[in-house]
Amino acid sequence: MNVELKNIHKHFGKTYANKGINLSIPSGTIQGILGENGAGKSTLMKILSGFIQADPGGEIILDGKPVVIHSPADAIHVGVGMLHQDPLDFPPMRVLDNFLLGRSGGLFPNRAAVAQDFRQLAGQFDFSLDPDNYVDSLTVGERQQLEIIRLLWLGARVLILDEPTTGISASQKTKLFATLKKLAEQGMTIIFVSHKLEDVENLCHQIVVLRAGELVGAAKPPYNTSNLVEMMFGKVVTLGERQPAKSGEVVLSLRDISLEDARLKIKGVNLDVRAGEVIGLAGLEGSGQGMFIRACAGLVRPVGGRILLKGKDLTGRSYHTFKREGVNFLPASRLEEGLVPGLSLTDHFVLAEEPKGIFIDRAAGQRLAEERIKAFNIRGTPLSTVESLSGGNQQRAELALLQSPLSLILLEHPTRGLDIESVIYIWSKLKDRCRQDHAAIIFISSDLEEILQYSDRVLVFFSGNVSEPIDAAATSVEQLGQLIGGKGWSGKRGSHA
Amino acid sequence: MLKGRLGGFLFQFIAFVLALGFVSLVLLAVGASPLEAYKNILTGSVGSTRKFAEVLVSFVPLLLVTAGLLITFSAGLWNIGVEGQIVLGAIATTWALRQFVDSAMPPALAIFLSILAGMAGGAVWASFAGMLKTFGGVNEIFGGLGLNFVSTALTLYLIFGPWKREGVASMSGTEPFPDAFSLPQLPDLRISPWALGIALAAVVVVYFILQGTYFGLRLKAVGRNIRAAYLLGIPTWQYSLYSFLICGALAGLAGAMQVTAVYHRLIPSISSGYGYLGLMVAMLINYQAVWAIPIALFFAALNIGSIQLPIVMKLDSSLSGVLQGALVLFVLLVEGARQKFVKKV
Amino acid sequence: MQKNIARLTAMLGLALLLVLVACGGPAPVEQPSQPEPTEEVPAVTEEAAPPTEEAPAGDEQFVFGMLLVGPYNDNGWSQAHYEAGLYLEEQLGAKMIYLDKVNPADRPGTTPDQLAEELVAQGAKLVIFNSDDMKDASTTFAKNNPDIYVIMASGDQVWPDGKAYEEIPNLINIMGRMEYGKMMAGCAAALSTKTGKIGYLGPLINDETRRLAASAYLGAKYCYEKAGNDPAALEFKVTWIGFWFNIPGVTLDPVQVSNDFYTTGYDVVISGIDNPVNLGEAAKLKAEGKEVSGVAYDYVAACEAAPDVCLGVPYFNWGPEYLKAISSAIDGSWESQFIWAGPDWTDINNLDTSSVGFVKGPALSEEASAMVDEFIAELAGGLNLWTGPINLQDGTAYLADGEVATDQQVWYLPQLLEGMEGLSAAE
Repeated sequence: MNVELKNIHKHFGKTYANKGINLSIPSGTIQGILGENGAGKSTLMKILSGFIQADPGGEIILDGKPVVIHSPADAIHVGVGMLHQDPLDFPPMRVLDNFLLGRSGGLFPNRAAVAQDFRQLAGQFDFSLDPDNYVDSLTVGERQQLEIIRLLWLGARVLILDEPTTGISASQKTKLFATLKKLAEQGMTIIFVSHKLEDVENLCHQIVVLRAGELVGAAKPPYNTSNLVEMMFGKVVTLGERQPAKSGEVVLSLRDISLEDARLKIKGVNLDVRAGEVIGLAGLEGSGQGMFIRACAGLVRPVGGRILLKGKDLTGRSYHTFKREGVNFLPASRLEEGLVPGLSLTDHFVLAEEPKGIFIDRAAGQRLAEERIKAFNIRGTPLSTVESLSGGNQQRAELALLQSPLSLILLEHPTRGLDIESVIYIWSKLKDRCRQDHAAIIFISSDLEEILQYSDRVLVFFSGNVSEPIDAAATSVEQLGQLIGGKGWSGKRGSHA
Repeated sequence: MLKGRLGGFLFQFIAFVLALGFVSLVLLAVGASPLEAYKNILTGSVGSTRKFAEVLVSFVPLLLVTAGLLITFSAGLWNIGVEGQIVLGAIATTWALRQFVDSAMPPALAIFLSILAGMAGGAVWASFAGMLKTFGGVNEIFGGLGLNFVSTALTLYLIFGPWKREGVASMSGTEPFPDAFSLPQLPDLRISPWALGIALAAVVVVYFILQGTYFGLRLKAVGRNIRAAYLLGIPTWQYSLYSFLICGALAGLAGAMQVTAVYHRLIPSISSGYGYLGLMVAMLINYQAVWAIPIALFFAALNIGSIQLPIVMKLDSSLSGVLQGALVLFVLLVEGARQKFVKKV
Repeated sequence: MQKNIARLTAMLGLALLLVLVACGGPAPVEQPSQPEPTEEVPAVTEEAAPPTEEAPAGDEQFVFGMLLVGPYNDNGWSQAHYEAGLYLEEQLGAKMIYLDKVNPADRPGTTPDQLAEELVAQGAKLVIFNSDDMKDASTTFAKNNPDIYVIMASGDQVWPDGKAYEEIPNLINIMGRMEYGKMMAGCAAALSTKTGKIGYLGPLINDETRRLAASAYLGAKYCYEKAGNDPAALEFKVTWIGFWFNIPGVTLDPVQVSNDFYTTGYDVVISGIDNPVNLGEAAKLKAEGKEVSGVAYDYVAACEAAPDVCLGVPYFNWGPEYLKAISSAIDGSWESQFIWAGPDWTDINNLDTSSVGFVKGPALSEEASAMVDEFIAELAGGLNLWTGPINLQDGTAYLADGEVATDQQVWYLPQLLEGMEGLSAAE
């Protein structure tokens, strides 16, 4: 089926998730869609599959006929089926029952006939799925297989896959790619959405790149990886003035740290961070850097290895112990994790101080708040509740809450969503603290330029793999971009076994 | 700020009028005169010193429970188990008094110790709900409800089992304690000035805890954003548990007042539903301790005043419950409307 | 904002729940709604003794007050008292003022003595306390108000032979001898069981409930033998649910207990609790083809809940004794006493004279019905089943051969009887 998107716009509030997208995909093509997180890939796919509606003015044309898609049911009716990052299924059911879902008409399905169809389809792609098995016993890869044949059975002729290679095994990935190629040969149109360069390059017949909601480029094989990276992340900007790397005492020392959550495993990381040093953690969202920084804060307990703070073994201790030893963690979601809505700035400063006696000295609290508000240039009064502040001012308030003395500051996206003035101000404050307290900083950012600008060394994360520390002076946005997309890891130590 | 507060009052007033209107409609529907009903409630509650003293009898435990609930509310917890905590306070007080009644201990000391025992009993019972929440991951609402049932069963067991009185074990409760073991009452009135003093003192203490102490501020931080509170260095689960303990102790104190100042023994429904009523008051006043006294007094007056309805007007006296409930519902509804309104403007 | 709305919604939901809890009160007396007693109730006979004296001359109407523990229309205990009050109004031309739901759960912060004073403030010269719950309060009230007459139903505090005697000149205790009613219930059950197994749905355990269960057993044993069976083979099991009615989470569920009885071979279940849930369960099982039946309690029209399976109902009739007591207050012949009034043996269902009655139910076979009548006649003729030899449940002798129990021995029965299965005291 030929798919044509014309002039697709979609805005949420003031931001455009999609801006004037035009795209044409001939029948039998595997179309790659690349872009970093938040580039607008998922929005575009959701528009095509009926989960959300585009702003008026655009058009979706299938085999030359304009169609209107208001819901996923409409989408499948015209032949568009979408596989999600988390396949939508209903765990406590049998495979066959799940398979039957979404089929219109027929109150009493002919189970035997359906089971026959099911086996035939599964056999065609060499999927070994037992229709009587329960869905919750399936692996992510198997659920994906089930979802593919279900969509095909429902009559899909355009198949959209959103980040399908996350969470499946290598052999399942091989099988998936083989299946997709086979489907394309049969005339099926495949849209493959991913941020993984390697997958897209290996599979797709053509690629488009989205950035900040706009379609910024297209490519056909043979692909030039650095071109793609440049398209994904924008033009390379010359780095600002750099400060030389420091060589103070070792503040944080990680020895063979291993971490695990439901999705990711990080194995055997070693790292020494020195006073005055800034370490940037790069990687696409969910690649392991969040778990890593929380482990440094004592919020995530490592499954192996040791964490030393100024030589003191703090492995397995709580965040509060880390905090007493001079570690502060500022989370990304300020109002969810960092600040307490409903409480005023004064309340926050009082809370962050060591209690003196039982009763709060309100006047002293007020003075403290006024001082800090001035020192950190916060636009607000001591009585302002934190939720009434703008994002930049909330971030300044968080900085103002940092304890003293400090040895390690951990930050998640410290400047996300802030205007440039705030960004500059916040970094100058951070650097000040770093210098005054002989502290080190570790921060996560999705902005590679920010990472290069402010870090001394960089760790790159890619689905649980952690690179060796890279000297920020010796790398570039392109190189980092390739690394976070999973390319060029041969030279870097893959910590994943 | 002032404008916001005035606006808040205005909305509360609207809610009150709506609730009153709703109840009036109910009254008209059953063919009664709303004005006469309200007049009866009024005279039945503040019509004489005696009546007002009875209102105060109902006010004391309600205020204590409300004060306790302000603490758990501040910590973001729905301590619905407060009902059982009152019961355990009463049981512990009765237990202690039973030990002291035949001893040589001066009654005043015996009463004092028994009241402390009651507070301890309530606190221990609350700590069960707290520990179920903290260590067992059981939501405090479900844990609390379960513990409420257990406490009722325990009361019945004690009254009809080990603490059964001479003669017919009776719904009337355990053997009443001698008069010397009661909190002294005002002459000719049922209210004990001691009980009233204790309740007022409790709410003042709670007010200062919440307004002026590090403890109170930390509790609020835990209640409003437990993750941020943790990152700010507050030992969050300990604070949750402390709030349960304080609320339990105050509920236990309410139970102790029921035993030492009102019923002078353990009876099957010693908690009298004050726990649930206290939750309503606490919800209505939305964390503000200063409002606890007038609203609890108002609810107590409704309880007592509505006794006149069946006697004088042959009306069902659950009407006061309807009014109390309607009030809470309308205040919440109006608050919701206000938030929408404020957002739009 | 989103979060606030979610929180508000949650609060609203909870508030609604609380309102329901608060309004419903923790003492929901579950009663299947029943129509007013009609043809089941024997008509008031013409020769009923009229009140001995008319109300004293003068324009002042006698006002009496009544405190009811439950709702006045509960189809059970409180309603029986309320109807007796209406009967008094009619017979004496007196005026009743009453307050129902007199219990701390429904009226927080109040005590029955305080509420009695409210009634006095409205003009009551006599106050009836209708429940065991109010025993202490009635004593307090009577002592504080020596010029007000007090009737305390079901108590024993002015029984000189009782264990808790107090001299209170203005107080009278009134209780019906339900023991007879329970014997009839037991008899009807014994004549109807095919399996020889009778279940007894007990409330909480105290002297009163023990003696009533034991009376039912005595009646059952007697009639079982009379019908030609071996009385030793009769199985009689008491299961206490823990309260007068079902409180979820606190008591055993009486429906479940009834069901357990019926499904384990107990084909007749006698209710000792406030509402005849056993009948409902029996009707359900009967619809499935099981041969089961039950006996109700307390309320004269209780059989109408499920007539097909109802063998009968023993009930209280408070009117006659209340009438006597109030008349004595009016004419000045009042005397503090403990009244334990039995049936009027000339007609146990005469509402003007009999304090305890028994209405036979439609499920009772003709043959059994005749035998129950015969049994009632024997009781009327002086048969006393509380005659030795009677052993307590643990085997100790309670009454020697031929020894007749005193009132105290019946009233304060310390255990169930030998041959009965079930707990004698709370564990």
